[in-house]
Amino acid sequence: MKKREVRVTTCIICPIGCKAKVTIKNGKISKIEEVECPRGEEYVAREIEAPVRDFFATVRIKGASTPVLPVRSTQPIPKDKIMDCALELANVVVDAPVEEGDVIVKNLLSLGVDIIATRDMDRAKER
Amino acid sequence: MAKRNVDIVVIGGGSAGLAAAIKAKEKGIENIMILERSEELGGILPQCIHTGFGLSYFKENLTGPEYISRFIKKAQDLKIEYKLDTMVLEITPEKEITAVNSVDGLLTLQAKAIVLAMGCRERTRGMLGIAGTRPAGILTAGTAQRLMDIEGYMPGAKVVILGSGDIGLIMARRFAMEGAKVEAVVEILPYSSGLDRNVVQCLEDFNIPLLLQHTVTSIHGSDRIEAVTVAKVDASGKPVQDTERIIKCDTLILSVGLIPENELSRTADIALDSATGGPVVNEYMETSVEGIFACGNVVHVYDLVDHVTQAGELAGENAARYVLNQLPPLTKKITLKAGDNVRSVVPQIIGGKEPVTLYLRVKKPMKDVKVTIGNLTIPKRVVKPPEMVVVNLTRQALEKLEKRDESKVSIEEKAER
Repeated sequence: MKKREVRVTTCIICPIGCKAKVTIKNGKISKIEEVECPRGEEYVAREIEAPVRDFFATVRIKGASTPVLPVRSTQPIPKDKIMDCALELANVVVDAPVEEGDVIVKNLLSLGVDIIATRDMDRAKER
Repeated sequence: MAKRNVDIVVIGGGSAGLAAAIKAKEKGIENIMILERSEELGGILPQCIHTGFGLSYFKENLTGPEYISRFIKKAQDLKIEYKLDTMVLEITPEKEITAVNSVDGLLTLQAKAIVLAMGCRERTRGMLGIAGTRPAGILTAGTAQRLMDIEGYMPGAKVVILGSGDIGLIMARRFAMEGAKVEAVVEILPYSSGLDRNVVQCLEDFNIPLLLQHTVTSIHGSDRIEAVTVAKVDASGKPVQDTERIIKCDTLILSVGLIPENELSRTADIALDSATGGPVVNEYMETSVEGIFACGNVVHVYDLVDHVTQAGELAGENAARYVLNQLPPLTKKITLKAGDNVRSVVPQIIGGKEPVTLYLRVKKPMKDVKVTIGNLTIPKRVVKPPEMVVVNLTRQALEKLEKRDESKVSIEEKAER
């Protein structure tokens, strides 16, 4: 039996924010309606087939003047891996000093992305 | 106490102040001083660890710390002087600045020009008048962000967020990613106050309910907040009887608006605009006091830091021209007044000759509209309250503008063709 489903996805490419109507047949997109431009169609298709997200969080840092270091992924990650990645980073502790761009975790969860520091963090001055 | 002479003093070392100082230095002003209240430069950006910054200015998708570090490093490369942990207490219309810190003690500076870049502050519970007890666990979104992403604390485990502004949405995601349960985001308006992108990526991704046309009517708990009462509101924003329900929580986050911080502007008798909460500025970003310029969230609250940077550069460049006696006074002054569906417009005064970018805040979402400025009309596909409407007026367009003392800026439905 053929399975048919219609999903509404908000396009976030531009401020117009089209509410795309996507018809899915047997797990495949058969029609995208109510999107005004090709960039939007591309976004909506990816959002249905394989949504990805920028990933960013903090990790613990020792020896700096504050206890957490902000980090990001070098590339977007699959949307359904956000929580796995967040949990993985909860166990990471680094030592100051750190420079912006330093790789904190290589190939996180074998997703093919690295986690990098998004700022410099010096060692705190001894008091 | 010795008074030190400085060409340009920039008050605030966030995105606006840094951009202004860098631009002024590039324009040939050597003697610049940034006064920053916090322990580091960067303003709010170091705690905005999410991406989405720089898309228009750098054509890159950066996090807050990455975006601002480019400016901090540039300011340091240009050897722009700055003082941290320094609180400015007063500025005078004669451009004398009194500040205090733990190294210099009380400090007096005499500036030729001043750039105000103090940013804005969050509205707090006291400004909302929510009934109930006064327990711990009620924080503004920005405070929660600082606690989590700079200081490494987890403010709570069961969270309700009041207001759907961008910071509230972003904190909903941060709480969810750090393992908290976000029970709901409660918004009094019939639409989100944040960008679509944040509704999708911060709420829908984490299955966080967005309760539109709802508000928090009461707060419960003695030492720590234990629950809130949430109710539907009618078209006028008043709670509807018998729609109340209780949501248990240990934290209430407020994301209910930002207010430009202008205590210092008042000490210098600078005219403020009641619609923006910031100084009235002309197209040079100059306030009503000659030689005092203003930029960024102290003027009006922006949604994109990229625009703040541009406003900072404009203010910095014109402060430099002022110091170098190269800033021609505006011969004609056209005051722009907010008309239909326009809450505010910046700059409020233009000369009507040189190209200028107007930033408008609209009252309600509309589609297929025309922006009218006096006799000029500019079509726009869509306008929404969370997104500043940007209107570039070219020299050509301005040639056609009727040069009245006052022009109304309105947004109207496009007439049927």
